[in-house]
Amino acid sequence: MQLFVEQLVNGVALGSLYALFGIGFGLVFSTLGILNAAHGTYASWAAIIGYYVVEWYGVPFPAAILCGVFGGGILAILVDQLGFQPLRSKRAGMLGALITSIGFWIILDSLAGFATGQQSLAFPASSYPNAMIEIGSIRISQIQLIIICSLLVCTLAIHLLIQRSAIGAAMRAVGWNDLAAGLSGVNSRIVILLTAFLAGATSGLAGVLGGIATSNVSFTLGEGLMLKGFAAVVVGGFNDVRGTAIAGIMLGIIEVFVAQYISTAFRDGVTYTLLLAFLIMRPRGLFGTANFVRA
Amino acid sequence: MSFKHNLGLAASVLALSLSYPLAASADPDAGEYKIGFIAEATGPLAAAGVSFLHGAELAVEQINAGGSAGQGVTLVLEEKESGSDAARSVQALTQFAADRKVLAVACCILSPVAGAVQPVATNQKVPLVIYGATKPGLPKLPYVSSIVVLPGPQEIAMTQKIVETLKPKTVTYFVNADNDGFQGRFKAAQKVMEDAGVATGGVVSILSADTDFTAGATQAIATNPDLIMVWTTQTPAGGIIAALRSRGYTGNISASDVISPAPMFKKIGEPLAGIPFPISFAADMATGDVAKAFSTAFQTKYNENPDTYAAQGYTAMLYIAQGMKSLSGAPTRDTLAEAMSSITAIEPNIYGGLAMIEGQAKVDQSLIANWTKDGMIAAWEGK
Repeated sequence: MQLFVEQLVNGVALGSLYALFGIGFGLVFSTLGILNAAHGTYASWAAIIGYYVVEWYGVPFPAAILCGVFGGGILAILVDQLGFQPLRSKRAGMLGALITSIGFWIILDSLAGFATGQQSLAFPASSYPNAMIEIGSIRISQIQLIIICSLLVCTLAIHLLIQRSAIGAAMRAVGWNDLAAGLSGVNSRIVILLTAFLAGATSGLAGVLGGIATSNVSFTLGEGLMLKGFAAVVVGGFNDVRGTAIAGIMLGIIEVFVAQYISTAFRDGVTYTLLLAFLIMRPRGLFGTANFVRA
Repeated sequence: MSFKHNLGLAASVLALSLSYPLAASADPDAGEYKIGFIAEATGPLAAAGVSFLHGAELAVEQINAGGSAGQGVTLVLEEKESGSDAARSVQALTQFAADRKVLAVACCILSPVAGAVQPVATNQKVPLVIYGATKPGLPKLPYVSSIVVLPGPQEIAMTQKIVETLKPKTVTYFVNADNDGFQGRFKAAQKVMEDAGVATGGVVSILSADTDFTAGATQAIATNPDLIMVWTTQTPAGGIIAALRSRGYTGNISASDVISPAPMFKKIGEPLAGIPFPISFAADMATGDVAKAFSTAFQTKYNENPDTYAAQGYTAMLYIAQGMKSLSGAPTRDTLAEAMSSITAIEPNIYGGLAMIEGQAKVDQSLIANWTKDGMIAAWEGK
């Protein structure tokens, strides 16, 4: 029983990373209409920025997180403005944006490889909370707790922002029809920048926390999150962050339990078979609206 | 070039020159000859790939400075990047084959990549020296040979020593589910353990691309083993050990030589200390003149100690130079292949003895080492 509960916690923590990453991915898709293949690189770069500010300047853990998150957000804005804005102004459509994002993915991945000297780096153990917390006979690491809490806070905050605030209404309006939103007085440029920043920042948060938790800061970090984050968004529904959070956690739990009780060799196969089955039964995802169309 | 670099190079060239066998032979015709190097300095194995390349570059520099491949012979190392991709490696070999100035090619860290390149080299009749892949059976004389010391015998020796020293009753293993080489190495170690009456507590499979090992560590610790053996590729091995220690596992762990490069200690730090691994070469434990000179020259040139991968890149070039040196007249791919296939021991070498049997290197000495807490590699004392 103890093993079961500990693995459940491990699954929730792992899934929280997928969900955190997926929230930003879904935000860009639902608001800006871009299936952004470069999204994973925001996580890699955020982790790299976080690592180097710790390594070079010895900044404390919260500051390293902030630097990574901010770096991820700024990078997302840069990619959007350099790559997607020219296409947006020409109404180039989704395929053009996808191909552009693949180009950015390759470029940013290569640069990330050079930034880390092609090595897999790790945050020094003394630079983050790495003690174990014992709750009865169950052990959970502080960083896992931080990851789970981060997901809860981000999900709640972004959900409230989108559903209950004027900015959120503007984001939804731009996501629905940016021309109509503009005619109604919404400054779509600001909304696009804000959305890109939020998406990059949440992906960055997943990157820094994932880099710490897995002792792996490298150009491969974002790639690992990309597929699982995408799956979380698809299962959760593109236009609701609550669905992404729940789906991400489910994915993490399934992965860990399949590895524990069946076999690691079948882990991804079982996970994606379940994903496929779910999509056949409920193609719009857990919380997705039936009339949400983006392609 | 700095004075320090020149001094280091001169010392190592002298050590190399004095170590060459004094067999009388007519040297090959003076001139420039290209050696192709299929590098893996980008991609998933880039960290090791850079080390292999640096070792080869240093060797060529020394060989040319000392005339080790023949008087007036200059080897030119021409690099093509493969990113550990089999298709790109084959493409690189094909391009080298098309350039008749390329006399030999060195290649491959990954065994599947080496397996893809090997038949192409044989068909194209290009001498191929494998510098990193550890799968047995890759050499195919006269064209394909391997200077890689196969890990099997060393790892079996280490496992036997662990049985005698630590006397474990149960062992739990981590192993790559998607890597035949590590599957074989794990099974060989498990057989030694079970033959000695040591029970298998559990087998935790991971995949090469995995980065989160919290669940795997929880699974392994739950089996309550006396020892955890890690038979995985480099990045997972570091992540597994870090996860085990951070989750409070204080018991014995052993690993393979994948944890030996310095960047691994920089990354994982103290949790690596005391974990035994078998190794053929470690700069901190170098004893012979050639090994010491190699370490000094590498340290001078790259400002870091050479690791076991740099040693292999270095050895690949020494092997080719030895083959070249034995030729007379205008060297060709065929004559070089024949010359290298008749080599029975690579001399000089940094291992204190390196036999070539059927085109496969075999080391005489086997070290069991561990990282110390202050980041040095030292002989494992079984504590």
